[in-house]
Amino acid sequence: MTYPRLIDDGSVWIVVIPPVIWAAHFLTCYWVAAVWCASGAAPLTPVVWAIAAITVAALGGIGWAAVVAVRRYGGLRRPGRHVSRDEPEGRKAFLGHVALLLASLNGVAVLFTALPVLVFRQC
Amino acid sequence: MTQVPDDHQPRDGGRDAAERASLAEAWRTPTGWRYVSAVNNSHVGKWYILAAFGFFTFAGLLALLIRTQLAVPENDLLSMELYNQVFTLHGTAMMFLFAVPIFEAVAILILPEMLGSRDLPFPRLSAFGFWCFVIGGVFVCGSIFWNAAPSGGWFMYPPLSSDPEQTGIGTDIWLLGLSFIEVASIAAAIELIVGVLKCRPPGMRLNLMPLYCWYVLVVAGMILFAFPPLIAGDLLLEMERAFGWAFFDADRGGDPLLWQHLFWIFGHPEVYIIFLPSIALIATILPAMTRSPVVGHSWVILSAIGVAFLSFGLWVHHMFTTGLPNISLGFFSAASEAVAIPTGIQIFCFIATLLVGRASLNAPMLFAGGALAIFVFGGLTGVMVAIVPFDFQAHDSYFVVAHLHYTLIGGMLFPIFAGVYYWYPFATGHMLSERLGRWAFWLMFAGFNIAFLPMHWTGVLGMPRRVWTYAADMGWNELNLVSSAGAYILAAGFVVFAFDVLRPKGRTPTAPADPWKAATLEWAREGPGSPWGIRSVPEITTRYPLWQQPGLKDEILRGAWYLSDAKDGRREMMVTDILDARPMFVQRIPGPGFVTIFAAGFLGAAFIFATYHWWLAAAAALAAFVATVLYWLWTGTGGIPQTPRRDCGRGLELPLYASGAGSAGWWAMFITMIGDTTAFVGLVFAYAFFWTVHGSFPPPGTTPPDPLPASGGALLIAAAWALMMAARGLNAAGRRGAGAALLLVPVAAVAGAAALAFAAFRAGLDPTRHAFDATIWVLILWICAHVAAGILMPLYCLARFRAGHMDATHDAELRNSVLFWTFLLVQTGVTWALIALAPLIPSGAS
Amino acid sequence: MPPQPRPLGGQSPPVEQAPACGVDPAKLCQGEYAIRVKSHIAVLAAPLLTGCGGRHSWLAGAGAEARIIETLFWPFLFGAAVLWLAVMALAIAAFRSRREETRGLVRAIIIGGGAIVPGIIVAALLVIGLVTLRALAAMQPGLSVQVDGEQWWWRVVYDTPAGAVVTANEIRLPRGETAELLLSSDDVIHAFWAPALGGKMDMIPGRTNRLTLTPLTPGSWGGLCAEYCGGAHAQMRFDVTVMEPAAFGDWLAAEAEPASAQALARQDGLSVFLDSGCGACHSVRGTEAAGQVGPDLTHFAARQRLGAGIAPLTDAALRRWITRTQDMKPGVEMPAYPDLSPEALDALVGFLMALK
Repeated sequence: MTYPRLIDDGSVWIVVIPPVIWAAHFLTCYWVAAVWCASGAAPLTPVVWAIAAITVAALGGIGWAAVVAVRRYGGLRRPGRHVSRDEPEGRKAFLGHVALLLASLNGVAVLFTALPVLVFRQC
Repeated sequence: MTQVPDDHQPRDGGRDAAERASLAEAWRTPTGWRYVSAVNNSHVGKWYILAAFGFFTFAGLLALLIRTQLAVPENDLLSMELYNQVFTLHGTAMMFLFAVPIFEAVAILILPEMLGSRDLPFPRLSAFGFWCFVIGGVFVCGSIFWNAAPSGGWFMYPPLSSDPEQTGIGTDIWLLGLSFIEVASIAAAIELIVGVLKCRPPGMRLNLMPLYCWYVLVVAGMILFAFPPLIAGDLLLEMERAFGWAFFDADRGGDPLLWQHLFWIFGHPEVYIIFLPSIALIATILPAMTRSPVVGHSWVILSAIGVAFLSFGLWVHHMFTTGLPNISLGFFSAASEAVAIPTGIQIFCFIATLLVGRASLNAPMLFAGGALAIFVFGGLTGVMVAIVPFDFQAHDSYFVVAHLHYTLIGGMLFPIFAGVYYWYPFATGHMLSERLGRWAFWLMFAGFNIAFLPMHWTGVLGMPRRVWTYAADMGWNELNLVSSAGAYILAAGFVVFAFDVLRPKGRTPTAPADPWKAATLEWAREGPGSPWGIRSVPEITTRYPLWQQPGLKDEILRGAWYLSDAKDGRREMMVTDILDARPMFVQRIPGPGFVTIFAAGFLGAAFIFATYHWWLAAAAALAAFVATVLYWLWTGTGGIPQTPRRDCGRGLELPLYASGAGSAGWWAMFITMIGDTTAFVGLVFAYAFFWTVHGSFPPPGTTPPDPLPASGGALLIAAAWALMMAARGLNAAGRRGAGAALLLVPVAAVAGAAALAFAAFRAGLDPTRHAFDATIWVLILWICAHVAAGILMPLYCLARFRAGHMDATHDAELRNSVLFWTFLLVQTGVTWALIALAPLIPSGAS
Repeated sequence: MPPQPRPLGGQSPPVEQAPACGVDPAKLCQGEYAIRVKSHIAVLAAPLLTGCGGRHSWLAGAGAEARIIETLFWPFLFGAAVLWLAVMALAIAAFRSRREETRGLVRAIIIGGGAIVPGIIVAALLVIGLVTLRALAAMQPGLSVQVDGEQWWWRVVYDTPAGAVVTANEIRLPRGETAELLLSSDDVIHAFWAPALGGKMDMIPGRTNRLTLTPLTPGSWGGLCAEYCGGAHAQMRFDVTVMEPAAFGDWLAAEAEPASAQALARQDGLSVFLDSGCGACHSVRGTEAAGQVGPDLTHFAARQRLGAGIAPLTDAALRRWITRTQDMKPGVEMPAYPDLSPEALDALVGFLMALK
């Protein structure tokens, strides 16, 4: 039994990486704000900066996943017949395509999560 | 893939008949009263569906009682007490006894056939789950006839639910009965995940897998992460009710909001756990009806996975009015809006499929169309209530009641009806009446909208949820009367449907084997009277095999593909790899047995006795359950096969045994432990939650557990894990000492668990005093319970070795046990960090 | 932060003099935005709209917060209707279509209709929602009122410079001033909801939540418990009376006083009250009755309703309440007194109804 490399041909992990990054980003934002607000400090300035930083990091991670999905999996080749081919290449391209779509969705979702920070200055 | 010339020449009739006879013999269904011992998916799936619809009917009758009571103001048809039980049970039964089980029921019935598999990998586990479901469901529902039903609302908020004087035994019935049913749900989820990952037909790569299977995989995965937090919450709440442990009592450092977090971390994903499988039914019906593949295959999978993840970021939108900081509400509002995007993609993919294909408007399509109309409406109001200020008004009003019924009935119930019309011939060999189908649809569609559309406005006029009465001068009279009338019309539609399903069909003509000319493999199975399902297991090279692989169906039915017979009279199925479905080995699976019923009965008895605080009886039942499970495993199909390999036909020869990461059992253990660890994370969340909200956690004056025995205990448990690893290694290498290592595991583990408990005991932690003490104790209790289960494993393995059922190369049980211990090692490490290190960190609130 | 309560858009809150419960349907819903829209649909939906000025309606527009939220309601409703019709039309057209060449359309439907358009819509909604939430949070309160949920009634404490003023089941607020309600509970979770004035907020044991209300329309508005709190949850109501500021000041001063001399003069009724043990649970300031379990009755008869908002306060209702408490409100902690003699009951009711 050989184990596949984590992110490469023969791995499905690329598909869950973008949503996992979203989840980590989301929970961190929630946690940071909850701890800060529970400590009684009203102005959110440090939270804003912290969330800005992790948002940039999360978008970077999702962007990296998208690049991997395109470069190594061929996720940007024309959808349609290619991703339904009966060979490992087809499965790879299919996973890359789904991963690319998930990267786009979760990129938007990360931006959504960061939006409240632009609106609120108090807890 | 094996390169073997195709076996196209007609087979001689004698061989065909012999193969069929061997299949019929191996897969024979027990007759008479022994029929209940059947475990095959085609039986268990049907029972499961019938039972789920039985509970649906019960919960629907409760709904009619609710609507009758509310038809006129100040009605006294139901007493306050009974009404509170009725609405609690209505929500509980619909959610836990219908919406989730029906997904599992349908999947158990059709998934194996759709995968060209003879059964699911663990048929007895499905049967066990079914019996747990029935026992638990009858227990929970039956309580209302003794006026003892839960009355705390289906989300069971403490402190109302944590105070035994406020809410009597009903809450215990709810907590323990549902925990029991959740065990069944998780068992089915594990089975379905392994089914999709490992039991696909050769060649069905991930990119060729039907959409339905993707949804099953995604939803079962969601169950695995969503249900355990509720089980953790149930554990905490029952500990508070039964033993006074302080988790939700604000006076003792607890917090009622902790329950709301744990409940809704389960509760919101649950809505999607209900919704996605029904969408999956539509994604399967639509191509058959439009004669076109689903347009945007990858996009649909994107939306399934995207929704699955995002749905875990919505839970606080049920808590918008609990006074959390606005910024926190903002995050959850954002996720609640974001989830609309993948949901929309899904629906527009279906619309695009309609555009490409050529559909006719028969009963399944009618229900699918009704589902679309209703669900889109519910989705739009969902986008509204996700806006925090709007929810400040809408929350807990009839507007939300209307919204949730639009999403659930549109997103779940109507697709299920579509599915029943579609798969009825698959399951029974008869068609349902098209004419009655139209009647049922229009009655239900009209009745539903008459009942629930006005409720939006009732909510705008200020009517709150869960009221057993309202005054005549509130301005709600007419709207409520209309809603009640609609409910009866809806019920009439269901009666038409139920009549059509249940009426004897002896005289109606048998349906064609493939009435819809569909593309998925379940329509290539032999008739509904053949529990082995597919005649021979084909190789798949396309997404829509029966359309795109000409002649395939004929070859399957001729027995021209793999596993066309039952060797040695054993039930068998092919196990393939996750990515490309390359054949790996043939797994033997068990046939009928009563052991599953006994196991479910004993486990049910343990839960039921615990409800009544009959602790000794509960402990005895639990011990009987453990003994039954050991017997079940011992007599299972995991032994060393007489012949190492099996000829599957067409030159393909596969092993009959696998252990480790290639085997189905290893994956089942892995997935089980993922779920188990999620429940553990729920307990860790409780700790983190208290740490965040409390000025000082541990509270001033509390000594944290002694780090020395705590660390020693953790090390001993780690040593037990190391002994397991050593035993596995020594055994695999054919060296001596494995038995001794296995014998030492319980010693180290029990000593370790005792040392952990001693650490808390010596610090004088009293779980009834403060939430800190209670949280530490519950973590230790968790580890102790796992150690108790964990020490059975090495002893069981030792016995298997002695009995000759295991050896150096046949070590599946040992490898699976090591996996368990690896997870336990991680949990112990986290527990150690929480009890020995975390109290040193200054906590959140000031 | 603006010192004055301001609805979205920045104009100062308009002040209506007329009570909201008029007869002209077009005037029933007082929200500025709503009025325009509603005159168009009033003909179509007259039966529905007759209710929108009700005492419990979100759309009664009796408070600045309710109006802020109402600015979301009508655009949402019409937006949703338009979107629903559009999706249905598209689905029906797709179902009927017999087009051969569909590639471009398919792409437009999935990417445009499924991803981009909904993405833009929900992003816009999110921003609108967050900005509205910020506007609600920016209300600057003057008055502070503590409200505790009890099973199944409301304990109300005004925090005044002269000390705490305790009352129950009816909240009076001055028009045009933002009041801060500090919400908590001692037993189970309740939720405070006066829909005509604003949104709801939970009352959670161990926590104090804050809700601001800025009443704009004088009159009597309905409120209720929105979170299921067991037993008689359905009968946990209250009244919000919005008064002119001067009248409110007078009322609060009177409420701080002990029971009226008029009432205390009814010695026979007072002694029935005390002898029956009512004082163990209820307070009547100026008498020995100082119980804290049930509602404070010092100015009981000045309230509009009985039993936490469930019946108008009349002699007959009060008699029924005393003698058949459980019939009116099952599960309530107060025991019934069915065995009081008619004379004693007369005296007791006379005393209570004199507690103005």
